[in-house]
Amino acid sequence: MVLMEYPELEMLIVRIREISGFDFSGYARPSLLRRASRYLTTHKMDFPQLLAHIEPGGSVVYGLIQELTVNYSEMFRDADFFMKVKAEVFTYLESYPTLRFWVAGCATGEEAYSMAIFLKEAGFLSRSLIYATDLSNKALTAAREGVFTLGNVRTYSENYLAAGGRHSLSDYYHVAYNKAVMLPELRRNIVFSMHDLTGDGVFNEFQFISCRNVMIYFTLELRQKVFRLLYDSLSMLGFLCLGKRETLRYSGLEENFKVIDSTLNIYQKIR
Amino acid sequence: MSMAKDNGSLSLVLVGGSSGSFAIFEEMLRLVRNPLSFALIFVLHRGKSSTAVLPQLFKNKTNVAMSEPYHLDPIEANSIYFAYPDYHLLIGPDRRFYYDCTDKDFFSRPSIDATFLSAAVSGIPVKAAMLFSGSSADGAFGMKALAEKGFPTYVQNPAEAESPRMPEQALLTYEKHQVMIDGSLFSIINDILQ
Repeated sequence: MVLMEYPELEMLIVRIREISGFDFSGYARPSLLRRASRYLTTHKMDFPQLLAHIEPGGSVVYGLIQELTVNYSEMFRDADFFMKVKAEVFTYLESYPTLRFWVAGCATGEEAYSMAIFLKEAGFLSRSLIYATDLSNKALTAAREGVFTLGNVRTYSENYLAAGGRHSLSDYYHVAYNKAVMLPELRRNIVFSMHDLTGDGVFNEFQFISCRNVMIYFTLELRQKVFRLLYDSLSMLGFLCLGKRETLRYSGLEENFKVIDSTLNIYQKIR
Repeated sequence: MSMAKDNGSLSLVLVGGSSGSFAIFEEMLRLVRNPLSFALIFVLHRGKSSTAVLPQLFKNKTNVAMSEPYHLDPIEANSIYFAYPDYHLLIGPDRRFYYDCTDKDFFSRPSIDATFLSAAVSGIPVKAAMLFSGSSADGAFGMKALAEKGFPTYVQNPAEAESPRMPEQALLTYEKHQVMIDGSLFSIINDILQ
């Protein structure tokens, strides 16, 4: 196990920016340090070796950036969250003629497919568009393919049923070469595209934004900026969903939202 | 005068454990006396579907404030914190808690290593770190890192732990941890907690 120290991390951040232009300065240091230490451990190198390794013009730095930004995700993560969204949010949105959802920081698409499945079961997938964005092209490519390992899908199936799914998850994928491939009809209403929450701006107006466990990777300052972007992207009375351990606290926008569920962190824009 | 809420004097007591540690944690909470001069942080392995809210479960054991902190909450003395299931709990150098959703360590999220390693590099003094019964190797790296920083580290005697693997691995990774043997276990813990 190789453990990096914060001064080394700062050196690494500067070096990555010099070589690739990618700026980690707004990323929460404790998590970034954990990821960087794990990178060193799995690649069996120490910090000086890493610095020597990521030369200008080389491709190693991009692999490193990839590993430092990739997010863990699973389908129907937090069954209680999806139950609540169906009970409180979907019923509210039912009367809208068209709906736009945004899964911000979608990684490899698990949450976007989960939303699509429950929107289908609620009967309004056909008049919904789900924008699923991430800054990683590699993650988005995987998301578009919608292919998951059968081992993971076993967990997703349990999550799906715990979240009140009406069928069997296997109704939504077919198995090929020992992998689960999500049905193309689910993809029809999902737009996967590149978007950097820390740099890009508002690109549409949404009735629902899910940005769960993404904000935890940003510093307090950058987090406020991203909250502002999400706020500006929400229509009036639109919903914002955060991860279970995240809150609107320290966002500067607490006053503009009504709390729908304080445990599951579901908020509604009211001003 | 108590300095308990003075942020200038924050120190941490870290406690890690898995299967077979629960009863020890319970007893430990009984030994805690308000006010604590430090923040007491528990990392107990639990499944992601664990619905037990530990602060509620333990509320009759102590009158010190207990919580499962939120991301960015400040770490305060005279407080007891529990790692939340399905996230790693990290200690930031700015004396705030940070959550992390990266891969599991030793099939565990929360992992003891994640919390202990982050504490080791945080610059916040660690008054003591303790590791108890458990059936995985988690915690050994974190304990070693803390010991190498010069912080006091204590390991339950593997021979007396319900699941010996965890304390055993910690001692294999770094042999100079202080071993708490059964007869003196709670008197050592009591001394640390004062």
